[in-house]
Amino acid sequence: MDPQPQPERRSFLGLMIGIINTGIAAFMAVTLGRFVAGPKTSTASEPEWLDAGSISDVPDGKPARLNVTVAQDAGWAQFDNQQSVWIVKKGDNVQVFSAVCPHLGCSVNTNANGFICPCHTSTWNINGQRMGGPTLRGLDTLDHKIEDGTLKVKYQFFKQGLAGKEPIA
Amino acid sequence: MPEMRQTFSRAYDWCDERTGIRTLIRHALDEPIRGGARWAYVFGSILVFLFLLQVVTGIFLTMYYVPSADHAHTSVAYIQKVIPGGSMVRGLHVYGASAMVIFLFAHLAQTFLFGSYKGKRELLWGFGVIMMLIVFGFAFTGYLLPWDQEAYFGTKVGTSIAGEVPVVGQFQQHLLLGGNNLTTLSLSRFFTIHTFLLPTALVLLIIGHIYLFRVAGAAGSFSVRNDHKVELFYPKQLLLDSVGILLVFLGLVWMVYKIPAQLGPQADPTSDFLARPPWYFLPLFELLKYFPGKLSLIPTVILPAVLFGVLFALPFFDKRPTRNPLHRPLATTLMVITILGSVGLIVASKYQDRKDPDASAKLKKQEEDSQAFLKAEFKPEEIGKKPEKSAPGAAAATIKGEPPDPYTVTCSLCHGDHGEGAEGLGPSLVGITSKPNRTKEDLLKILNDPRSYGLKDPMPANFPDLSDADKHAIVDWIGAGK
Repeated sequence: MDPQPQPERRSFLGLMIGIINTGIAAFMAVTLGRFVAGPKTSTASEPEWLDAGSISDVPDGKPARLNVTVAQDAGWAQFDNQQSVWIVKKGDNVQVFSAVCPHLGCSVNTNANGFICPCHTSTWNINGQRMGGPTLRGLDTLDHKIEDGTLKVKYQFFKQGLAGKEPIA
Repeated sequence: MPEMRQTFSRAYDWCDERTGIRTLIRHALDEPIRGGARWAYVFGSILVFLFLLQVVTGIFLTMYYVPSADHAHTSVAYIQKVIPGGSMVRGLHVYGASAMVIFLFAHLAQTFLFGSYKGKRELLWGFGVIMMLIVFGFAFTGYLLPWDQEAYFGTKVGTSIAGEVPVVGQFQQHLLLGGNNLTTLSLSRFFTIHTFLLPTALVLLIIGHIYLFRVAGAAGSFSVRNDHKVELFYPKQLLLDSVGILLVFLGLVWMVYKIPAQLGPQADPTSDFLARPPWYFLPLFELLKYFPGKLSLIPTVILPAVLFGVLFALPFFDKRPTRNPLHRPLATTLMVITILGSVGLIVASKYQDRKDPDASAKLKKQEEDSQAFLKAEFKPEEIGKKPEKSAPGAAAATIKGEPPDPYTVTCSLCHGDHGEGAEGLGPSLVGITSKPNRTKEDLLKILNDPRSYGLKDPMPANFPDLSDADKHAIVDWIGAGK
């Protein structure tokens, strides 16, 4: 009575077992990999003009926070997302900054000298230029226009942690 | 290459010294099988594989699935229609569930026929019977999760049956539903049971089952003639198991490609959907027709309880060492009767549905609706949309423009002069085309046959006075604006 098959036969059968199970695992790995990656995100379309509110409500020379409603696509859901923008108005000159910190994405606030990010204390002057802290760039400016007294903004998200401003597709 | 092999072998030694993995693998693979490897023994390994497949596909499905009544269906449709590989992952999970039931019966039948539950294997067998109950628990709780018509109405019947059990019925139904009705709370509960509680229980039982199996040893063939021949689990039996697993896997993949897993329209509690249970519950469903009133407890509670009780107790009262099925006429006959009876009941229920013109027409219509929904393009759900800026404080929103005459004549009494709706009569039609199952095509179908969308009184059953042009005019106006 010898329960052990010949060594060569044993290793051949072992190879077959390996091939079958590796095959199944490979099929599942590819399928699940595609599943996790999700559908291809559509190439970024030109952002729309969004109403931020009346420009006459913005005081002169002092940052004011306004909100825009951004339509966001999250797979099975589409929802409206409120995003803040900072407006600095000096006479006819208007600047619009994204309130998302270009360092790591916290919400930027105002201080006596301009802007500060409370998370990691990056600071900018009232024109959005970088003053100190870990951020590598100034506040992200957003395209805007004024129509019939209403401030319209092209809202975009930008990649964080870079020295240059790069929109997220 | 030799260096690589050496590095690998050194790494293996390093692990072995710290874990004893070499001994463990040796022990796992060198399981002696009396009478040698056989195809009849592949079912257990196939079940382990199917369970792993359910675990893996199930975990990945939860990446997109939302266990909430208002989003579950959309998120499942998104997996099925949009996510790459989504139809495959969900299909493997759906068909894998049926395969588990099939191979569970095969494993049970093989063990029963070969008399492999005998000889100090009461616990091993008992673990198996409990695991069968858990697999049915998986099937029952998983059925609700897509929250389509089939899921909703099937589960409604299932939970009502749970409520009929004497003494504990009402309590267990309330516990299962998280209230008195099938709601989003029930869905969350079913999800928790399906994804956390049952898997944990089954993993522990599988470990126990395999441990007890190794303690008792493989029973092997029922014929003593082959006793002199002993083969180890590795390589031959493992190869047979692997080939079996491969065939089952290929079969599942082929099924998913051929017939994608069903997903019908979202659950609509107001509709008169005709629910039919999955095939493995059909025998009990069919029996239910023959036991009216209080007697219905016989097929729903008593018969299953007796069956499981007998199965569970089997090794305790059947202590004769005889294992050959031909020498155990009572056991073998009982098994054949159970199988033939179940198949007969399934056939009977299918036959009756086909014979009854109303039921067969309704089931066919439901099947077509389901196919149509599966083919239709995915529509994302709008969540958290702010009401239109003009809305706050204003009167009820109305549809812009003058309504067409047929609307004013036929619809305005209940739905308002401008679609604003009327309390207790008809809902507002403002912006209705952005709601699920209410596209302009849907609205036309509703005007043709309101009942097919589950709309009940006071919505009329048909509109004989409206021409096709009238219907189009009404729908165009409703769809045009808010």
